[in-house]
Amino acid sequence: MLKVVVGHSEDPESQYAVEEVLDHCRKDLCGLKPQAGILFAAIDFDYSLILDHINQAFPGIDLIGCTTDGEMSSILGFQQDSLALMLFSSDTVKISAGVGLGAKENPTLAAQQAVHQATGSDASPKVCIALPASYISDGSTTSGGEILKGLELALGNHVPILGGTAGDQYRFKSTVQFFRTEVLTNSIPILLFSGDIQVSYGTACGWTPIGQKGIVTRSKGTALYEIDGKPALEFYQRYLGDRPPTAETPLAVYDGQSDLYYMRVPNTYDADSGQINFLGDIPQQSIIQLTDINRDEIVSAAEQSFTTALARYPGTASPEAVLLFSCCCRRWLLGSRAKEEYQLVRNALSSSVPICGFYTYGEFAPLEPEGTTHYHQETFVTLLLGTNSPLEKP
Amino acid sequence: MNESIDDQHRLKELEKTVRILQKKLQRSEVDRTELENASELRESVLKTVIRDLEKSHTILQDRGQALETALSDLKTLQMKLVESEKMSALGIMVAGIAHEINNPVSFIYGNLDCANDYLQSLLGLIQLYQIHYPEPIATIQAEIESIDLDFLKQDSKNLFQSMRVGAERISEIVTSLRTFSRLDESDFKMADIHKGLDSTITILNTRLKPTPVNPEGIKLIRDYGITLPCINCYPGPLNQVFMNILVNAIDALDELVEQGGMPESFVPTICISTELSPLNKVLIRISDNGLGIPDNIKDKLFDPFFTTKPVGQGTGLGLAISYQIVTEKHQGRLWYDSIPGQGTVFSLELPIDQA
Repeated sequence: MLKVVVGHSEDPESQYAVEEVLDHCRKDLCGLKPQAGILFAAIDFDYSLILDHINQAFPGIDLIGCTTDGEMSSILGFQQDSLALMLFSSDTVKISAGVGLGAKENPTLAAQQAVHQATGSDASPKVCIALPASYISDGSTTSGGEILKGLELALGNHVPILGGTAGDQYRFKSTVQFFRTEVLTNSIPILLFSGDIQVSYGTACGWTPIGQKGIVTRSKGTALYEIDGKPALEFYQRYLGDRPPTAETPLAVYDGQSDLYYMRVPNTYDADSGQINFLGDIPQQSIIQLTDINRDEIVSAAEQSFTTALARYPGTASPEAVLLFSCCCRRWLLGSRAKEEYQLVRNALSSSVPICGFYTYGEFAPLEPEGTTHYHQETFVTLLLGTNSPLEKP
Repeated sequence: MNESIDDQHRLKELEKTVRILQKKLQRSEVDRTELENASELRESVLKTVIRDLEKSHTILQDRGQALETALSDLKTLQMKLVESEKMSALGIMVAGIAHEINNPVSFIYGNLDCANDYLQSLLGLIQLYQIHYPEPIATIQAEIESIDLDFLKQDSKNLFQSMRVGAERISEIVTSLRTFSRLDESDFKMADIHKGLDSTITILNTRLKPTPVNPEGIKLIRDYGITLPCINCYPGPLNQVFMNILVNAIDALDELVEQGGMPESFVPTICISTELSPLNKVLIRISDNGLGIPDNIKDKLFDPFFTTKPVGQGTGLGLAISYQIVTEKHQGRLWYDSIPGQGTVFSLELPIDQA
């Protein structure tokens, strides 16, 4: 038995918002006690107050969460400046939370810490949901790729890792993570699911390359120094003039000689050296190209991600919960059409299945059903959860 | 009591709505500024991409143009090579034949008068015998009757006359062959256009004669202008132009006759006219009353390797070379007017003296 409920409030006042969210959840829980939860909060809330309220309502709950660039749920659909909570209650699925600190300085150690804490005596998790920090208080960023490597190292390659890095409403200054009653920065909160849990996932993007291709002649990790033997900034300046590279102008990085590419979003740059720092690593000698978007293609990628996940879903019954992780750049570029991403998923599902999700600064998901997890950008990730012994519907 | 609870509830709802709307307004302001920046950015990207595309478009166009020019140069070169090869082979052969025929013809032509004199002397001698010995012996009388001496005397004149005409005709053909090949006349010089036309017609004479299919033959009308001066030109190549146009005219007429269905009064005719144009240029028109040129091939007529003749019969170079000879070598003009079913007129306009 797995019972999943959601609460969602768009009230900007923290006190009212958390009360409304808890009301929604209590009503649907029908007296059941949730053992774990995921909280997505907009940037201007009083987080401590909210966490205290949740802990008072469900003492000792294994809660993780983060600040976002937008929230989604089956109650209010797509929202900004809102508070969304998903709670899990089950006697057959074991869910436990863990957190690691110092994600920027030592991602491997922090990841190990989190996994160690969450695993406890149970050593066979089936899926990991991670909501690590992206920007930390001094404006610098963690490395999504390094955090992922750390988690994989601690969990083993066979455990799929899904989720996204925390956001701060497109301000790119500082993000906050939640663990039980703690408000944290620079941390890696995770949830591990084991027992009778069924999982599937799908990813899709929708960006198309444009302009001339270039070859990365010098790079290290997330720092891109030279394209075609010239400072990386010059490549951008050809298209942007004096404007700095921003999240709206990601690079398509080609996978070897193939036509397949993944996205990398520029973050900061150094005008003097021409170096650009990205939110993900860019391997040397890879072929890159600037990208353009078409809103129709971005929206339809969300649907594609969901249908892929649904087609792969292994359970004998229908999925019982949907988690969505969509990139903040998608939300930003879709503008008034951002709500369509959620709507497409909603329309494809039976109305009783709870949905919760958020707009991230970088997504985690494997590309293939049994494949290893990748760190993505500009991507829409769908995670389906359920059991083989679903709750009888009233 | 109930009403006041209701009012309180409504008040709470309203307060919440106000809070939400305030928040949304704040966010809209921020979003608007960011959107404006983002749209500027995307515009810049697209403008650069468009500029790049325009540049590569121009480059591609130039490259395409260069390739077309190169192709056309190559075609011209190939044409010239084929032509020069052909002309040189043909010229050598024609010159050789002309030379080989010329010597024996000279023997014949040169000795004809002498032979005639001998025969006349012998016939005179016989006549003298007849005067002084009016009663010949029976054997001689029988021989005189047997060879029909009176007819022999009378016919020998005709015989020699006809032999002379024949020999003259042969030397005329030899001269025409030499004129046509003009191995010795590839230089720019003063020449009589009429002579060139005539020598070409001589070579083509057999093709004008009656055949089983065309019992009437082809009627040739020469309408030469009397005041036409000699012009500065390359006589050999120019003869080749006349040849190409005349052969096409003859082919067109042959095709028409073979096709049949023409009224009985129809006479296949080629007319060659020359005149001095008001602009002091020589104008030569070669017309036929053949099939005419179909509209759909009019554009391609002067294209190298374009031909309507069966494989092996035409190279498709005749008119292309002619065009080049007239326009490039002589700074003249070559054009045609044709009405399908009524015939075609090819016109050449040549300057008398090229600066």
